[in-house]
Amino acid sequence: MDFTLSNEQRSWQMTARKFAEEEIRSISLERDEISDPSETFDWEIIKKGSRLGFRTMAVPKEWGGHGTDFVTQALVMAELAKADSAISKTFSQCWKWSHLIAATCTDEQKRRFLQPFLEDDTYLLGKGISEPSAGSDNRLPPADDPKAGLKLRAERQGDDWILNGEKCFIANASVGKLFFIDARTDPNAPLKQGTTMFLVPRDTPGFRIGKVFNKSGWRFYQNGEMIFENARVPHANVVGPVNGSDMKTQQAGDRTGGDLFGDLELAANALGVCDDACGMALRLARTKKQGRRLLFEQQVVQLKLNRMHLLTEALRSFVMRVAWEHDHKVHSANPGLCMNFSTDVIQEVSEINLDLHADAGVMDPRADKLVRDAIIWSHLAGDSVQRMKATRRLQ
Amino acid sequence: MYNLQLSPEQLEIRDTVRDFVAWEVKPLALRPERLEARMRLMLTDALDKASQLGLRTLALSEDAGGAGADTLTSCIVTEELALGDPDVAAVLAQTSMLAHALFDLLMTPEQRARFLPSFLVDDRHHLALADHEPDRDAALGIHYHRPERGEAGVKTTAVRAGDAWIINGVKDRVANAPLAKLFAVEVSSGANGASLLLVPRDTPGLSVRESDRGGHFHHGACGELAFKACRVPVENLVGAEGESPLAGDAARDLPQDSALNLGIGRAAYEAALAYAQLRVQGGRRIIEHQAIGTKLAEVAVRLEVARAAIWQAAWACDHPEAFADRSLRDLPLTRIAKVFASEAIYHATKDAAECFGAMGVMRDMPLQKYVHDALVCLHSGTSNSDAKLRIAEALAGYRRPANAAALAAE
Repeated sequence: MDFTLSNEQRSWQMTARKFAEEEIRSISLERDEISDPSETFDWEIIKKGSRLGFRTMAVPKEWGGHGTDFVTQALVMAELAKADSAISKTFSQCWKWSHLIAATCTDEQKRRFLQPFLEDDTYLLGKGISEPSAGSDNRLPPADDPKAGLKLRAERQGDDWILNGEKCFIANASVGKLFFIDARTDPNAPLKQGTTMFLVPRDTPGFRIGKVFNKSGWRFYQNGEMIFENARVPHANVVGPVNGSDMKTQQAGDRTGGDLFGDLELAANALGVCDDACGMALRLARTKKQGRRLLFEQQVVQLKLNRMHLLTEALRSFVMRVAWEHDHKVHSANPGLCMNFSTDVIQEVSEINLDLHADAGVMDPRADKLVRDAIIWSHLAGDSVQRMKATRRLQ
Repeated sequence: MYNLQLSPEQLEIRDTVRDFVAWEVKPLALRPERLEARMRLMLTDALDKASQLGLRTLALSEDAGGAGADTLTSCIVTEELALGDPDVAAVLAQTSMLAHALFDLLMTPEQRARFLPSFLVDDRHHLALADHEPDRDAALGIHYHRPERGEAGVKTTAVRAGDAWIINGVKDRVANAPLAKLFAVEVSSGANGASLLLVPRDTPGLSVRESDRGGHFHHGACGELAFKACRVPVENLVGAEGESPLAGDAARDLPQDSALNLGIGRAAYEAALAYAQLRVQGGRRIIEHQAIGTKLAEVAVRLEVARAAIWQAAWACDHPEAFADRSLRDLPLTRIAKVFASEAIYHATKDAAECFGAMGVMRDMPLQKYVHDALVCLHSGTSNSDAKLRIAEALAGYRRPANAAALAAE
């Protein structure tokens, strides 16, 4: 067993740490506090991060990207999330789908979409699955209800497909330039056999973005509505076979075209938030006094700090192991289990941090923000469903 | 005898308040601008109507013009109100509790004659207790199981000048301050302990500033009082000099606070239960899935056990003789209920919100507000860390010399 990082991994980590501390942290709270959810985004931080490679780092080298391994990606996500969880997620959301492009798109599609993605600092990616009446049903389709799941309809018309319907909660919806859209191409087949994935550029006729959802946490991150009214998408934009959207998980497998990377992504992001919370709590305990004595001297405080750190370090071990397993193409239930674990850990750690501050009479808006960001883990990833899904990989 | 059968009066008042909340409070509380946790305006119309229903004067004795409700009844009412809006519940609970303490128990007949009539006739006449000062180290962690060091005295001073007291100093975290028309203020008048003075809001030299929600965790309305050569008549002293009858924690951390918390938990539970019976995923209503069914069951378990602890504490307040005849163990039951309820209910609101999927974190939906409101309860009043240390002291039979009176009142 060797936990040493290579020089390249270390270098990415240090660049991310510096960028996070010098650029992200200073805007984190200010962006969080903006009350209009469509105004929280900041293009300057995206452009700066993009120039350092944080937007495109997951694109393979042969296609002009940085071809970083999963260990590096986990390190960078955690470093960025330590300064702002939602900003880190905005970058890594692009990696998730550049994994998908690399794993599933034809060379012609890669030329059309990967090239502009690499060249434009403001080119963000997203993927539309959830719909108002189909959330968990897409993640864990019920065997006894073949009609369940997404309803967005795509019908062939010559060389084009015509899309009609709605998506909701879609990440990067209001800021993305290219989206992977799952649509029902055979309404009579069950979800996995009747769904096709399409590449839908933002300027597609008949396609528009609705409202941006007003979340209590992850406020920088743009989750929006998508509306398709006779949206016309060329057949050349179909990803993989028609009625074969499911191939992303089957074939991509260890290349993690979405699903498995998504688990590592949330877990690594949570680790960064936990590091931040531990840092805040330790600083408080070492500097704040009650009755002329440092908080650190109180047993109750020591026990809380202990709990925060043991959970965070356990999560770090798990995250790095899953990243290493991705790099070594090891199949297991670990990515899902790690993501489930990260949900428990990020919430407990951020809550203890808030607790320590409140007990000391210190109202720190950042402690409050970390708790709100942490609660997102139970909601945007469908917690119980994700747990059962991970368990089924053990079968 | 410990008896959980509510009296016909208690049932009637519960149903009346429940209807009032459903028709008059909840629709206002669910308006989008009220769902933002950080800045929400007080529902003054609802407060006025609640006063007309008698909820402002709920615990005040019938002789004095109130409803004479005991602690258990007050808890039932507070829970119902908090189901609609915790701020409304907090303001009314505070005024009602102080009305009973001040008018029924502590004021002289002469003081009552001066202050009670204007309190009774004015729906917007609220009461406040100013017993907290900036930078006061209340944390027990620094003197657990040890006598308190003498440095934590009251810094607001009252100096006798002829037939008046001249008050100088600052009080903060004063619940109801922005609404109150009469304050009971803890001062140091040179005697050994703190003294309690009545200060009407319009007294020259008193200024009131509403504090925002970023200052400390609280429900209701809070504020800061600044006294600059503020003069009140000698006759405004409550109780004996140096012996404030509301010193220590006598008027803090009441069962009503936990009942308020319970109302928040119930709001989340009722919303989740209704949604779980409507929302279909996986081919059936989500309550029919084990994952959601178990979650809702755990929410119900937490709320019911919390209610049992809170009601026991409230009943004990109403029946102090039950400690004397050893029906109840001599333990700080209110603190025990607060620690359990605040942790259990926070957990319950999070579980309830989770049933809503992504909608559970949206600011235009109430679930995130319930989670936030439960978090506020978890961190308001005495911290749970401190409460546990106090419970431990009580278990060991440790009596804190300065606070012996307060402990008895718990």
